[in-house]
Amino acid sequence: MTPQGAAPAVAEPERVLAEQVLAGDELAFRQLYRRYTPRLHQLVLRLVGWREADAEDAVQDTWLKATERLGSFRWESSFGTWLCAIGLNVVREQARRRSRRPEVDWPEDHDPPQAAPLERVEPLDLERAVAGLPEGYRTVLVLHDVEGFTHEEIGAALGIAAGTSKSQLFWARQAVRAALGGRQKGSLA
Amino acid sequence: MTDPHDELTPAERRAFEALPREAKPPAGLEDRTVALLRSRGVLAVPLRPVRGSPRRWQPAWLVGALAASLALFASGFAAGQYLGARSATIAAAIGLGSSLAERTQHVQRTGSEYVAALSSLIQERDTSDAAARVHATQTALDALGAAAREVARLAPDDPLAGAVLRGLTERRRATQAPAAQRAVVWY
Repeated sequence: MTPQGAAPAVAEPERVLAEQVLAGDELAFRQLYRRYTPRLHQLVLRLVGWREADAEDAVQDTWLKATERLGSFRWESSFGTWLCAIGLNVVREQARRRSRRPEVDWPEDHDPPQAAPLERVEPLDLERAVAGLPEGYRTVLVLHDVEGFTHEEIGAALGIAAGTSKSQLFWARQAVRAALGGRQKGSLA
Repeated sequence: MTDPHDELTPAERRAFEALPREAKPPAGLEDRTVALLRSRGVLAVPLRPVRGSPRRWQPAWLVGALAASLALFASGFAAGQYLGARSATIAAAIGLGSSLAERTQHVQRTGSEYVAALSSLIQERDTSDAAARVHATQTALDALGAAAREVARLAPDDPLAGAVLRGLTERRRATQAPAAQRAVVWY
């Protein structure tokens, strides 16, 4: 997964720090943590719909898994991208543990929200609308429209076809537009 | 029913681009994560809280550290042997537990942690950070000296404790390190 503009300019320092973490160096871990956790935390906050306790658990679990797998990381992607991919899986595991299966599709008989593209959008309203999406759709929209992943990358990360990712993104955007259109008209609570 | 050509409008794209990409992590989460990683053995238990400059070590320091750790381990073992003869009030005051076995285990455990912390640094052989090296050396020796003083109080005739204290005294005279750089850390 290669989010647009997200790769660190220099990869070597992360690799050196990672080797030190593998040797048990706490300072190296703290440096990696401080460098990458703000981005990871923002990502998981969006993925869990701004439930802060869930996001905190996800960040911690992500780092635990990252340190477990650090020795097998092949550095074919940036460290930050790899870490966020782990964070994504952690969030999905959390959802499964809560017995709330990630929603993959709208129900068969469900009509998509009808909404025209927006010409004026406030970021805060957009954030609220995204948080209100069904979980699976929110994930695809966040990964594509916020993080910049391609449908192929999203499909690989979520275990779905690229076409399914495109379909979910279309419906997610429609739902966001409908929510924002309603808000702009004063009809959305 | 999807539109394969669905694109964001410029306003929508700007709104997405305006969303923050980073969020400040919850306070304390870093320390909680580090503590968890320590408990799992992923991270070594440090000599002191790791803030600021990196710890770096020279081979000469490593030799000294290894000798110091071995000496402290031996001192700790000796202390465990003698604790039974000490007043229970001292042990209670520093939280070692009520029984001789508990106090002995505590000495062995903390001595082993010190040895492990020093040993974990052996792989860090390359450094240009002289200040960090000097500080680390002094920190380890201060801890060793404090332990040796306690052993000497418990067993005034113990030759090892006496040798350690004499060596530290000679070193202090030779280096004349400022008092401010000899901060005792964890005991």
